[in-house]
Amino acid sequence: MSTKSGRKVVWGHLILLAAIVGVVVAYLLDARSVSLRTNNLLLVQPAAFLAIVLAAFVLPGIFPRADAAEEVEATGETWGDLIRVFILIVALAGLAFSLEVIGFDIATFAFMVVALAVCGEKRWWVNLLFSALFTVFLIYGYGTITPFPFPLTIL
Amino acid sequence: MVELTSVSGAFTLLSSDMNAWLYLLPGLAIGLIFGAMPGISITMAMAFALPATLYMDFLPAIVFLTAIYTGAGFGGSVPAVLMGIPGTSSAVATTFDGYPMARKGQHSEALGVALASSVIGCLASYVILFVLIVPISGVVLKLGPLEMFAVAVWGMLLLGSLAGTHMSRGLLAGTFGVLLGTVGMNTAGFVRGTMGIPWLLDGVPQIPAMMGLLAASQLIGLINTTYLIADEASRKISFKKILGGVQHTFRYPTIIFRGSLIGVIVGAIPGVGSSISNLLSYSETKRNASDGDTFGQGNPKGVIAAEAANSSSEGGAMATMLALGIPGGGATAILLAAFAMHNIVGGPSFIANNKDIVYAVIFSNFAQAMLLFVVGLGFVYVAGYVVRVPLRFLIPSVLVVSTFGAYAIEGSSAGPITLWVFSVLGWAMVRYGYPVAATVVGLLLGSLLEGNLLRTNQISGGDFIGYGLERPWALLIFALMLGSILLQAISKRRRAKVAALSAAQ
Repeated sequence: MSTKSGRKVVWGHLILLAAIVGVVVAYLLDARSVSLRTNNLLLVQPAAFLAIVLAAFVLPGIFPRADAAEEVEATGETWGDLIRVFILIVALAGLAFSLEVIGFDIATFAFMVVALAVCGEKRWWVNLLFSALFTVFLIYGYGTITPFPFPLTIL
Repeated sequence: MVELTSVSGAFTLLSSDMNAWLYLLPGLAIGLIFGAMPGISITMAMAFALPATLYMDFLPAIVFLTAIYTGAGFGGSVPAVLMGIPGTSSAVATTFDGYPMARKGQHSEALGVALASSVIGCLASYVILFVLIVPISGVVLKLGPLEMFAVAVWGMLLLGSLAGTHMSRGLLAGTFGVLLGTVGMNTAGFVRGTMGIPWLLDGVPQIPAMMGLLAASQLIGLINTTYLIADEASRKISFKKILGGVQHTFRYPTIIFRGSLIGVIVGAIPGVGSSISNLLSYSETKRNASDGDTFGQGNPKGVIAAEAANSSSEGGAMATMLALGIPGGGATAILLAAFAMHNIVGGPSFIANNKDIVYAVIFSNFAQAMLLFVVGLGFVYVAGYVVRVPLRFLIPSVLVVSTFGAYAIEGSSAGPITLWVFSVLGWAMVRYGYPVAATVVGLLLGSLLEGNLLRTNQISGGDFIGYGLERPWALLIFALMLGSILLQAISKRRRAKVAALSAAQ
């Protein structure tokens, strides 16, 4: 998106930098609220200030000139491609948060079905068969070599 | 330096106990398989095998565990090359050039280069250990918190200079990583940044975060790609090319020697070890190479430097463990546990009284390195087939295996949740030109940096400069650090000048 002065705004980069600075500032305030003693802030405070200064140096890169070659949101990427990435991210979140709730077997199978479809597997029977076999193989294979029992619902 | 009577005793021990040799092959195979699985660390592989050693004699038990150590050390570089996933923090620098080589269709060569460098690095480290175990232990004893802090800062600064075109982004990524690495309770007992989440008291889970930043983020970015290697003809696995990679490695003896030396020295420092040595070696090689600009785009010299250093760190870590009884990391801690299971206490008295056993362990490691070459050749040939798997199957499968690994490491959903958070962060950072490796190393070193800085503050009473001037080793490390950064800047400028000249012609 271009501004009146002939500069673009790389929105994705702006969101990322805002998130990094937000986390740094929140962490610094939290650390200072715990204690202002040297043993608490010796590394955290200077490192946080350094991060904020460095973020200021990065900032101009977020508003490049409209004719600049770099800082273009990944070339050739369509909205469809981005939506697929976001679906995969949401599916991974579903897997991470639901493993202990609905069981590793169901969560893994559900993630595999969604992720395979998002990644481009169009044959539904291949998708279901591979997801089921992979889930069974992984649950039993990984289960034998790790010390933690995986919570399961069906298997 | 070398006691011939003890050497002869070591040969007698090894030739009289066939059990020690019988466990070499299974140990290497377990190490290779576990090391190559994303989420399974060297420590986990050794911890898994530890109970089995209870029923073995002392020497076979140690040989078995060190064989797993050696196998897993190389095993971690297989996913680093093929998928950009470092199995352990010591394989981070291997991904810088190994993965781009694989993406260019040079996966067979990259695996051959990695294997040969690992074997030579491992051999070299044990040769150095054989000769220098006594002097090394003397030096390590002299290192205090200020020296450890200096080494950690060196590693961080090198990453900033490795960052490529946007140095500010590299340094911001590293500083952000350091801050994340200090979340939780610090050594002085202050709890910060946990947001009330109990499992963050111990800090951000490092391995899941590392897997998310380096691996899952890459996989998410590959969703619109069909195969890891675009060209169908390049996807073939060639034994000849693997051997070609092996042969190629021998053209760079200086890189291997430098990497091995850095690996042994840095690997001997407790708590720092191989996670920094591979980066130091990579950075030094990049600085000295005439084609330093091509590092990060698939230059085999980068793989050689990283692998020689991380494999030789094993010898350095063993030196500290054997000589001082101090574990440099998880793997040597398990070896010490195995010592304890056999009622043996590691440390100066162990070396003084059992030099024959120490030399026997060193000799068995020579054999392990040789055997690793043979077993590794077969292993990388089979593992190389991963590039022929369509990404629509590979991406979900590896993401699930990584999630399982993250759960297995933490024993709760803390692992998978961390993996997810850092995958999204890593994906966004890669997208906008931030070096995620800098964040990873910052995260790994954050608590180490803070702990050593606090200790230095306590010892010096706040007078850092006065205290620093009394520490010759710290001054030496700082001088080396400044010299290395200065040389890096000069060589960067020289390369830019040469590039500008050739562009003008």
